[in-house]
Amino acid sequence: MQDVILEMKQIEIQFPGVKALDKVDFTLNRGEVHALLGENGAGKSTLIKCLTGVHHMDAGTIMLDGKSITPTSPQAAMQMGISTVFQEVNLCPNLTVAENIFIGRQPMKFFQIDWDTINSRSTQLMDRMGMNIDVTRPLSSYSTAIQQMVSIARAVDVQAKVLILDEPTSSLDENEVKQLFKVVRDLKAEGLGIIFITHFLDQVFEISDRITVLRNGKLIGEHLIGDITKLELVTNMIGKDMNEIFNLKRAEQKPSAANVLKAENIGIPGKVEDISVELKNGELLGFAGLLGSGRTETAEMLFGVTRPLQGTVQVNGTDAKIRDPLDAINQKIAFCPEDRKRDGIIGDLSVRENIYLAVQAKRGFLHPMSRSEQMELARYYIDLLSIATPDTEKKVGELSGGNQQKVILARWMATKPDILILDEPTRGIDVGAKAEVQRLMLEMCEKDDMGIIFISSELDEIIRCSNRITIMRDGAKAGEVDGENCTQSDILSIIAGEQKGGTQA
Amino acid sequence: MRKQHLDGILKSKIFWAIIAELAILIVCGILRPDFFRLKWIDQTGMWSGSLIDIINYSSEITIIAMGMSMVIALGGTDLSVGSLMAVSGAIALKLLRWDVVEFPTPGDFTVRPFALVILVPLVVCALMGAFNGTLISRFKMQPIIATLVLMVAGRGIAQITTNGKQFTTMFEPFRQIGLGGFIVPMPVIITIVVVTVMALFTRKTSFGMFVESVGINRNASRVSGLRSNRIIMIVYIITGFLAGISGLIYSSRISSCDSNNAGLNYEMDAILAVVIGGTSMTGGKFSLAGTVVGSLVIRTITTLVLFLGINPDAIMAIKAGIIAVVIVLQSEPVRRKMSELGKNRKQAIGGEARA
Repeated sequence: MQDVILEMKQIEIQFPGVKALDKVDFTLNRGEVHALLGENGAGKSTLIKCLTGVHHMDAGTIMLDGKSITPTSPQAAMQMGISTVFQEVNLCPNLTVAENIFIGRQPMKFFQIDWDTINSRSTQLMDRMGMNIDVTRPLSSYSTAIQQMVSIARAVDVQAKVLILDEPTSSLDENEVKQLFKVVRDLKAEGLGIIFITHFLDQVFEISDRITVLRNGKLIGEHLIGDITKLELVTNMIGKDMNEIFNLKRAEQKPSAANVLKAENIGIPGKVEDISVELKNGELLGFAGLLGSGRTETAEMLFGVTRPLQGTVQVNGTDAKIRDPLDAINQKIAFCPEDRKRDGIIGDLSVRENIYLAVQAKRGFLHPMSRSEQMELARYYIDLLSIATPDTEKKVGELSGGNQQKVILARWMATKPDILILDEPTRGIDVGAKAEVQRLMLEMCEKDDMGIIFISSELDEIIRCSNRITIMRDGAKAGEVDGENCTQSDILSIIAGEQKGGTQA
Repeated sequence: MRKQHLDGILKSKIFWAIIAELAILIVCGILRPDFFRLKWIDQTGMWSGSLIDIINYSSEITIIAMGMSMVIALGGTDLSVGSLMAVSGAIALKLLRWDVVEFPTPGDFTVRPFALVILVPLVVCALMGAFNGTLISRFKMQPIIATLVLMVAGRGIAQITTNGKQFTTMFEPFRQIGLGGFIVPMPVIITIVVVTVMALFTRKTSFGMFVESVGINRNASRVSGLRSNRIIMIVYIITGFLAGISGLIYSSRISSCDSNNAGLNYEMDAILAVVIGGTSMTGGKFSLAGTVVGSLVIRTITTLVLFLGINPDAIMAIKAGIIAVVIVLQSEPVRRKMSELGKNRKQAIGGEARA
């Protein structure tokens, strides 16, 4: 139909432990705005970095204007006609608008910078974008939106054929977004191919012609804008892996079970507010919701990583004062954090040390476990969780992602908790490891009568495992459904249901 | 299997520190044939010789460096230790010479019991360490800035304590600390005791691992239940206390206090000892044994420079050169290059480790 300007085929990139991109195709037409969607870690930015030469792909081809290219650096990509405007404005606020547009490629005349050309050309460029501004004033005297336009002007002036807008609207207000979109439409009319990355679904529907959805490094689908509803889009982004067939049965809920954890109206004003959570022995409570909806924040409050400023927490029926994680551990709570690198593994310590760390923290350093106790504990969990490590002394940072996750799980299982909070325990690990983590979780519920809070972005695994599901939206509890009699669309409609513009997706 | 063993030894940093020490010793031995000779001195009841001297005069550094190892393992530095040595000496001498109002004359008057003369300086230094620890843990200041405060202020405090005077003492029990001995000089005995206690404290309890854990990933350590602020606090208190011990040894050696020169640049030597001993400035794993070797290396370098007849003023420059080289070798780009070089081989061996 239309002429293709950019074609990326079968792109593959392997990062240590994960396949960041797995045979992804992407095409861009002339005069088209093509939205690239997916959750964090889906591979959007990896794909863009591939295109702009930051990452080097392991397999696949990139065709620009019918010619095969291999960009080696952002500069090289720019010269080929691929320009990027980043989320944050990376310009120099104390230089003038004109200087910012021409910095690094100043036209010279008699060994001097040709100021006349710079200024007149800049005025032209800004005019073309419908901006009548004084280009000799410092950039900082203009609003963020105009600064954003300046970065676009800078990108476009380099004879761009493809313009990548990486979350350009996240720091703009509604009017500024309108202004920006007007410019985008103009550029589109001039025949530029534009790749638009954003978290805002409404904007996608407003400006894009086509949508490509990525998830876990795989291409999920390419749709024309009229062919897909917002609900379907959310479904695609969050994903349901129909191929993963597990014959897992959710834990049988004992009707007589007592509340092991009861939090009432806990919150931090401005972030998450008025969250009430009840958890019974042997129950698996799922937390669903989009990223940034308050799932992780709630978990962190329950574990004392951040201290709630409101509300009360009861553990086993008595008031619990949880000021920091150690208090929580003493209340027999355990927490596998979402960000494994930042909050989980101690990379340079051995597998053994990582496993017995929390138990030792609970005992205090003056009551050390003997070497043989440590070894026994480590060996036990290495066997139980089938952690793939050559020995107990291997640095945990050198293991694969899935095995690191298991080591952290072992650390917490070793504390023999009553309550286990798992924040995205299956993210970034392969299908087999995922199934194993889920199996373990259910086993702990059933056998050890543990109460588990399970946070995940993958709805199908939440529905499959949970007895009850709490749904979060915008830092508050949006609803709760019974795990046994609910469908994905029930949950999705609560997640997406009352969404008004600007909700993060 | 044997090859892997050899590989491990070659990679361990203490191995290279020992090699360096031996190399310098051999050069010393070539320059002075009597270098390795030990003599028994009947009057003092001690062995004497160049080797004993090296160990003896490295005592102050070794003791401070025990604390510095943990400070660096936490990813910090403590610049105040040298000044704390001066404070410790000044307080001890003030207590010894409570009588002195005018220009000091040798005398024996001391605050009694004598134990106070030892304890008060140590407690004060520990409190100053606690001050450092508070700034760093509670107020989240950068260690280098936080400890700079007492590095500057410490010498002032020492001056005020003694009214800017240099007291001297002939009080024999005090002089025994630096000058006495039993088979070996007293500082060596004190060092052995300190090193043993610290080694037991860090490795027989879990304290060492906690320090390493906080140094590697403070966030994750906190989430795992470690009270990192408390750990940081304890480490700086210990370091202050150890600087106090070093200060007592130093001032006992010179039977006097010297607010301007006591412990001058010792913080640098201690950091250097730790780094040569294989503990990375970026924090993480530390090795007290390595630090002891590192401290000996520094002292031996000083001895060598003196043997070579180079102006002693140049010693600092030579040490600075060595620290620069060591830190560059430990730096991220260099290590990445090294690991890239070793990667191909590693992939063959460690392939099964990744699942």
